[in-house]
Amino acid sequence: MKKRIYNKGEECHMSDLIKGQKALVTGLHGDNLALRRRLLDMGVTTGVEVFIKKIAPMGDPVDIEIRGYELCIRKSDMRNIDVKVI
Amino acid sequence: MRIALVGNQNSGKSTLFNTMTGDNQKIGNWPGVTIDRKEGTVKGTNHTIVDLPGIYSLSPYTSEEEISRNFVFEERPDLIINIVDATSIERSLYLTTQLLELDCKVILALNMSDLLEKKSLVIDEEKLSSLLHTSVVKISALKGSGIDELIKLIDEGRILDNPHKKIYQEDLEEAIEDIAKGLEMVHSRFVSVKLLENDVKFASLQSKDIEAKRHQLEQKYNSDIEEIIANQRYEYVVEVKKQCVVKKEYKETITDKLDKVFLNKWAALPIFVVIMFAIYFLAVGVVGSATVDFVDGLVGKFSDFMSEWLASVNASPWAVSLVVDGIIAGVGAVLNFVPQLIILFICICLLETTGYMSRIAFFLDRLFKKFGLSGKSLIPFIVGSGCAVPGIMSTRTIEDEDEKRMTIMLAPFIPCSAKLPIIALFAGFFFDRYNGLVSASLYFLAVVTILISALIMKKFFFKGDSSAFISELPEYKLPNLKYLLRDVWDKTFSFIKRAGTIILLCSVIIWFTLSFSWKFQYGVDVEDSILASIGKCLSWIFYPMLGELSWGATVSAIQGLVAKEQVVSSMAVIAGLADDVTEGALIFSQTGIFGFFNPASAYAFMVFNLFSAPCFGAIGAMRRELGTTKKTLIAVAFQTGVAWILGCIVFGIGSLIMLL
Repeated sequence: MKKRIYNKGEECHMSDLIKGQKALVTGLHGDNLALRRRLLDMGVTTGVEVFIKKIAPMGDPVDIEIRGYELCIRKSDMRNIDVKVI
Repeated sequence: MRIALVGNQNSGKSTLFNTMTGDNQKIGNWPGVTIDRKEGTVKGTNHTIVDLPGIYSLSPYTSEEEISRNFVFEERPDLIINIVDATSIERSLYLTTQLLELDCKVILALNMSDLLEKKSLVIDEEKLSSLLHTSVVKISALKGSGIDELIKLIDEGRILDNPHKKIYQEDLEEAIEDIAKGLEMVHSRFVSVKLLENDVKFASLQSKDIEAKRHQLEQKYNSDIEEIIANQRYEYVVEVKKQCVVKKEYKETITDKLDKVFLNKWAALPIFVVIMFAIYFLAVGVVGSATVDFVDGLVGKFSDFMSEWLASVNASPWAVSLVVDGIIAGVGAVLNFVPQLIILFICICLLETTGYMSRIAFFLDRLFKKFGLSGKSLIPFIVGSGCAVPGIMSTRTIEDEDEKRMTIMLAPFIPCSAKLPIIALFAGFFFDRYNGLVSASLYFLAVVTILISALIMKKFFFKGDSSAFISELPEYKLPNLKYLLRDVWDKTFSFIKRAGTIILLCSVIIWFTLSFSWKFQYGVDVEDSILASIGKCLSWIFYPMLGELSWGATVSAIQGLVAKEQVVSSMAVIAGLADDVTEGALIFSQTGIFGFFNPASAYAFMVFNLFSAPCFGAIGAMRRELGTTKKTLIAVAFQTGVAWILGCIVFGIGSLIMLL
């Protein structure tokens, strides 16, 4: 199955982004409250800009640039983050 | 004065601790090196300083982070040194905003200032100090700059008071102040925020009024309270950053360039395999075998000298035998491997301090997840190739309980440095030119065994969903030579110390039980000795992997529980007394007691010793981290079972190959 690429202005989950894309976080959801709290503490808050910088050789996890540092996160966890491509 | 070192993971707390105290605590370039608090005294003063595990927030996520929060909150240090990684200031200051809510003085140590230039960043620390109303010192913990200034500042007490600056928007700020007024306790501002956040730790202080306030705010912002507070903290931090940090043009950093190679889609895995292979090849293969003969020669000369000297002073034959066949043979057999261990320790230290280890965890996470482990499990495995004890302890950074427990049970499978003598002895004798290859093959066999065991455990014991993997990817750094030398020296010295204490004691016991019969007659044939009779009762256990009933191999393998290198030491003493040879290289002489070993049984015996129950030290560490004796016993039984089955399989396959 070919992966859909989201264009500028479109909304999707962070896991849908491809390498090199930039996006703004629009919201966090999911049942895992501890994980959500951790993401907030790591700076994944509404309005923050993220940049998909590196993807691990086996496709997962992903290294994103956020607030001037690099954060590794699994695709399954990125599904809980809504973004808007910029 | 009691000072706490608080900061994000991998921000350089332990490095600063070492510089300030002159100690050599473990440091590394991956998040979560420090997993427990360590105390020391600041050089030239009588201030106590406490190094704590790294945290991103005062809402702990893993067990080691809880240690930090409890310390700053409950033990009330007189001062917090908040280390801020100057190169990722936004995330660091987020923690600072929380620390400043405590009733405690805070001093900001702007670390890694030497790296700012490389990242084209300029920070105005005076501005930062006036905005946060906190004392700020620019330091480089690694290079040692700014440390004297920091110590002087603390010593002279010239630290700005913490005025609890308002950082939130008005409505939130009002709610917090309102709650704080009703609390008559220390850290009231901090507790108010936590109460608003509905933190379980402060559940007893909750009230209807607080609940109403929370509800009101959540409706107004159309979001939940945790997010509102985190957002506003970060908004404040961004504002501060805007005013005192200038970023010049973007340049591709060295880290980015290196990652293009080390994290390359096709090259990453082969590079990793080559690096791990090279480590074992270097340690056991090329350099290793060259050094063994040299040290062995020295030990042999010493042994001859002692035996002549003892004879010249008319020592009794049993005394000569105790010193030469017991102590020197036993301790010497282990000391032979010191040069090889030094190489291994250097390699592991390099992996840990350069930042490559975080990459391994990053790119193997996908693979490990399939087997129910986390990429973070890899860190205990690599640390464990030095020693299983710190390896097992480093599992504390794994968030998920199941993944953590599995990693604890599997980490001892990795050949630790004490197992290196066993590998080097057998591989060196039976696989001669291929010894480097054979030793590396054991490492990869360990990895395969770990993955298969994980799969089995996942299937039968741990059925939970796999958890999150959140970690930061640190920049590559050049290793600090001074730290490297001290680290390698400390580890080597502790090995030598063990040889001079535990191994020596065991050698004496082995010599005694080999030289005496149950009737305490000295000078009996070893076959009639106490040790032989014990070994003979149990030698059937090893028959399927040795093809021989060998009491000598049996008792040696059991002694691995004391320390793994004791296996080698015991074999040397037994071979020496049985065949009247003293040199380690002759352990396997054709006519001797261990002459029956062939490549198949040698490989099988290595496998058993590598994978079976670890030494008592590691079992103790497992007990501490697993929490119960029952779980520990299950783990040890599991490991020994796997080892025995694997040993038998290896012997079977090996014997078949040798027939062909």
